[in-house]
Amino acid sequence: MESHSDKNKHHHHHILPTQTALMIGGALLFLTFVTVWIAGVDLGRLNFVVAMAVATTKASLVALFFMNLYYDRKENSVIFATSFVFLAIFFVLTSMDLFFRGKVVVDPNLMAAPQAASKLKKPWISTPELVAKGKEIFAAQCVACHGADGQGNGPAASALNPAPRNFHVDAGWKNGRKATLVFKTLKEGLPPSAMASYASLPTDDRWALSHYVISLGPTAVLADTPEDFKKAGVNPDQEGGGAESVAATIPVDLALDQMEVAPTESERNAHLYDPSQTQWVERGAPQSRAAQIYSESCVQCHNSNAQGGIKILRASVIVPALSGQSEGMRSQESFNRFVIQGLPGNLMPGFGHYSSSELRDLYHYVQGLASNH
Amino acid sequence: MSNGENAVQHHHAHHFASADDEFEASKQGMWIFLVTEVLMFGGLFVAYGILRGLYPEMVHEAHKLLAVKMGAINTVVLITSSLTMALAVSSTQKGQRDRAILYLVATFLFACCFLVVKYFEYSAKFHHGLLPGAHFTNEELKDPKSPLFFSLYFMMTGLHGVHVLIGMGVIGWVLRRTLRGDFGPQFYTPVELVGFYWHFVDLVWIYLFPLLYLVG
Repeated sequence: MESHSDKNKHHHHHILPTQTALMIGGALLFLTFVTVWIAGVDLGRLNFVVAMAVATTKASLVALFFMNLYYDRKENSVIFATSFVFLAIFFVLTSMDLFFRGKVVVDPNLMAAPQAASKLKKPWISTPELVAKGKEIFAAQCVACHGADGQGNGPAASALNPAPRNFHVDAGWKNGRKATLVFKTLKEGLPPSAMASYASLPTDDRWALSHYVISLGPTAVLADTPEDFKKAGVNPDQEGGGAESVAATIPVDLALDQMEVAPTESERNAHLYDPSQTQWVERGAPQSRAAQIYSESCVQCHNSNAQGGIKILRASVIVPALSGQSEGMRSQESFNRFVIQGLPGNLMPGFGHYSSSELRDLYHYVQGLASNH
Repeated sequence: MSNGENAVQHHHAHHFASADDEFEASKQGMWIFLVTEVLMFGGLFVAYGILRGLYPEMVHEAHKLLAVKMGAINTVVLITSSLTMALAVSSTQKGQRDRAILYLVATFLFACCFLVVKYFEYSAKFHHGLLPGAHFTNEELKDPKSPLFFSLYFMMTGLHGVHVLIGMGVIGWVLRRTLRGDFGPQFYTPVELVGFYWHFVDLVWIYLFPLLYLVG
């Protein structure tokens, strides 16, 4: 009985008639001819559409007749069609990322190739001028974490583990308390702690910072040994310590961007980076005071497009995007309060030295940045 | 001529209720396998789409160096082989073993022909230094990103070529079994499923040809 029903069922299997097969084959050859011919005619963008339409017609003929889907149980068609649904998802999501995100703009500081050697002959030797310069840079770059007096008690310090270094204590310096070794720390950072690399600062600024922070300590600083110079990658026999080598770790975006338009050395020098612009601006072009303040005080943490993120700070705290929704952006008053007082217990330091007109300009400037994304 | 007697003796595996169930299950398994094939080639097609979207001029200049005539000949060869494969299946279903053998041999030869043409194409590319990545030495193409196009060209046509080789292997296998008289109107699952595989190889080429050779 079983074999009987088998036989009956087998009669239902569709056998492709030879004539149909030949017709389909002919149609496929004809369409091949058509697609080659049309590709020779310039239709602009339509060429692609036509070629894909013809290919899909051909593919459908093959699947429906040669592969029997037309006569087969529908579930096999559904199974096969599913693969194309997933392929479409794959393609659409991938293109979203590549074709619909904003233009990638890279801060040329990040792009800077090995920094030029120091202009000083022996920058590892401390001078009062270097210490004074270092103090200035310290106030702009370091106080958020290390505190105004370098005691490791800046507004952001409480969020950090390990805590930022207290420069008034002698012991425990990761790389050592010597000019060359602090210089090395500034260049490489101290991963995985929140101490980031400041290799984007000019070489002389980093020497100045090194001298300033070691000058804060309670005891005299020991002289640099040949090993210290070696560790720091500084050549004491060359003026300024020789050119620095910078490890080639660049983000993918930057790599893509460099493939696109790699600025030459002279272009890099001739242009100034303005975070409010999505393009390069000429050096000397008027830059608003607000833009200047932003790149001075805000860009390290909030990024060039106010999108927040952790460009410099590798702490576990994510710096929020500045958008119309953020609390500090609700009104001019709350903006002023946030900027002047900072957010104690958070990474946001206070910036008390701006005038109210500067703060007003900055507020509008940041609003403009935030509405760009 | 017919070898029906042999096929009647085909016994379906015991975990199937009937030979028909067995056939349907095998076929569905093959479709699911083909889904994974679509997704494997899919990655390359998406890469192609992205490359084209990012660097349309580069793709356009590079695609001009592909031999449209050879690609077109291979399209005709592959479509004809699909036709002979379909006829091999229907001949087996009708119990016409001699015809089925003839069609399978023809399909096999068309596959060889495809690879011979491909061989000439590849040699010409090698000769002109149109190679992927670091091996690219061609000086005619000015765009420094041109090697990317040829990386993709060789990956896509190479993976397809591997499928042609595997197809030839399985066609040879069903040919041998047909010669032995394993198949007839009652049992032809392997012939039909090898047919599916071969048609799929054709499907991929149907898209590769215009995308790479015609509208790059």
